[in-house]
Amino acid sequence: MGETVSADHILETRGTSAQFDAHVIACAFDRQGVAAFGLGDGTVRLNARATPLSWLNADAHDGGLLALAAHPSGQGFVSGGDDGALIRTAADGSISALAAFGSKWVEQLAVFADAKSQLIACGVGKKLVLLDGKGAILKSVEHPSTVTGIAFDAKGKRVATSHYNGASLWFVASKSDNPRRLEWKGSHTGIAFNPDGDHVVTSMQENSLHGWRLTDGQHMRMSGYPSKTNAMSFTRNGKWLASSGAESIVLWPFFGGGPMGKSPTELAGGDDVLCSYLATHPTQEAVAAGFNDGLMVLADINNARILPIAAPGRGAVTAVAWSADGTHLAFGTETGFCAVVDFSKR
Amino acid sequence: MSDTVATTNLVPVTVLTGYLGAGKTTMLNRILSEQHGRKYAVVINEFGELGVDNDLVVDTDEEVFEMNNGCICCTVRGDLIRILGALMKRKTKFDGIIIETTGLANPAPVAQTFFVDDTIKSRTKLDAIITVVDAKNLPARLADSTEAAEQIAFADTVVLNKTDLVTPAEADAVEALIRGINRTARIIRAEKAQVDIASLLDQGAFDLSRVLEHLPSFLDSDDHAHNDDIISMSFEAPRPLDPEKFNAWIGDLLAQKGQDLLRTKGILSYQGDDRRFAFQAVHMIADGDFIGPWKGEDRTSRIVFIGRNLNRPQLRRGFEACQVN
Repeated sequence: MGETVSADHILETRGTSAQFDAHVIACAFDRQGVAAFGLGDGTVRLNARATPLSWLNADAHDGGLLALAAHPSGQGFVSGGDDGALIRTAADGSISALAAFGSKWVEQLAVFADAKSQLIACGVGKKLVLLDGKGAILKSVEHPSTVTGIAFDAKGKRVATSHYNGASLWFVASKSDNPRRLEWKGSHTGIAFNPDGDHVVTSMQENSLHGWRLTDGQHMRMSGYPSKTNAMSFTRNGKWLASSGAESIVLWPFFGGGPMGKSPTELAGGDDVLCSYLATHPTQEAVAAGFNDGLMVLADINNARILPIAAPGRGAVTAVAWSADGTHLAFGTETGFCAVVDFSKR
Repeated sequence: MSDTVATTNLVPVTVLTGYLGAGKTTMLNRILSEQHGRKYAVVINEFGELGVDNDLVVDTDEEVFEMNNGCICCTVRGDLIRILGALMKRKTKFDGIIIETTGLANPAPVAQTFFVDDTIKSRTKLDAIITVVDAKNLPARLADSTEAAEQIAFADTVVLNKTDLVTPAEADAVEALIRGINRTARIIRAEKAQVDIASLLDQGAFDLSRVLEHLPSFLDSDDHAHNDDIISMSFEAPRPLDPEKFNAWIGDLLAQKGQDLLRTKGILSYQGDDRRFAFQAVHMIADGDFIGPWKGEDRTSRIVFIGRNLNRPQLRRGFEACQVN
């Protein structure tokens, strides 16, 4: 790290930012390159690549926003709130209701899109509700306890949910309501699918991760975190699972027989500050990670080089997302700081 | 410890328990309809009965989760971890959060949630557990359920409701029943669930500095309870305690008997330290810190156990043996 260059150098030279006054819950890019930030005051703040300096505001929820993702059509966003609403926000800031669930919170969201289908999965209490892009309900299935995380596999054939005492694997197109149950005692608080679709990993209340190899049901226990893991993200090639919750970026190797019996690789450690959120790059073996003090870095996994993006001081990083082409990075903090950074060649 | 600085920004959480029909919902409605100028979030499990304008009502299913931390009695409310976490991210800051539990709920998982989850601990604080009981029906509830006694055992404040339906002598008898179970709780008598809101909220009952505030001066009482009844026992030690001996004893006791020990509270005088050490535990989960200097000459250490199957001579010997020789 050059001593004369500020840790804010990338943010200052390649970033666009704004300071709002509510906790950033989630951020995402749509396929047009528009960035959206979902805030704890129920608003969605939009920043378009074409007009980077101007921000649009959409009052999406009457209450708190709880989850946000890109709309599977590639245009605009979808969000869930404690008003029980599933809302679509267009790039121009206009909103429309996709579904309403009364007094139940819409806490979890995952989307899938390919040439044939557009799917929105949301967690509403104990239910997993699958909808098409227009909000028509395709399927609604019940779990023994509240759904705490949702992840589609890379092909959109299966959708996995985390909950108390394990995870459930549902076939999207199946008429049957019997999931494959992946059991492990305890409270599971989030879920990730690897790109090959043969491993599922959950985060747990007890500051650890748990995994299942789907081919033979082999269990994987990944422990040693000083706090809960809020973010898990596989690299595009599936070799690494990056995770928050420790004083470094913790990367578990999913190759060469790992993660069983292997130690994780740790990057960007040394400051005794917890990594609070992260997202892997959509094409490269790299991960963007934020810390509790507001530090934001880009870590190259193969050569362990760390590029600072934003200096500490703007509050704990609570949301990180890459654009689909990997040229732009969005991140937000608990104090309402929102930024979009352009990594494209100049 | 920077407790005094940190705790001021924590949102106080009040837990409201009580048997079906004791008047819990009526009292909650009164609290919320009072013109108090404050904003509360209320977490309930049956939607619809509350008439609320200014406050936020959250509808939940009580989800009691076991923890995989080797502690068999350690359970938490998974739904509260999610809900309180989300409420803290809203823009509106609440003056307080009130959690109403179902009539049959055991308060332990709610209380333990505030000790176990780091996110909850960093943003909120358990203020007090309030249990509403019905003066007329309490003796019958204590006879036909275990939950009624547990709810009283965990309480910091017991609202003795419906006193207009019993004679003063009957009310006194019911109060004695409550005292037999929980010697440290504050008891407030009420008719038709009318209680001053200021006496219920923002009590700081779980602040270590107020751990034994409501301990009456009488320390002895007859133990005429059956083995599985919940009772209180308190002990005193006139000489200073050896911290190592006390930690070893209480750690072992909570590990062995934590399931039977519902709540434990103590103010301790450690050898060579001029400050009072406060201690409290909910089942096996313990918390302790120094809370400022002793006032006056009397530095008697005191400890109170609320639980089942308490062996008085054994507990007394154990506590007294922690004193320096």
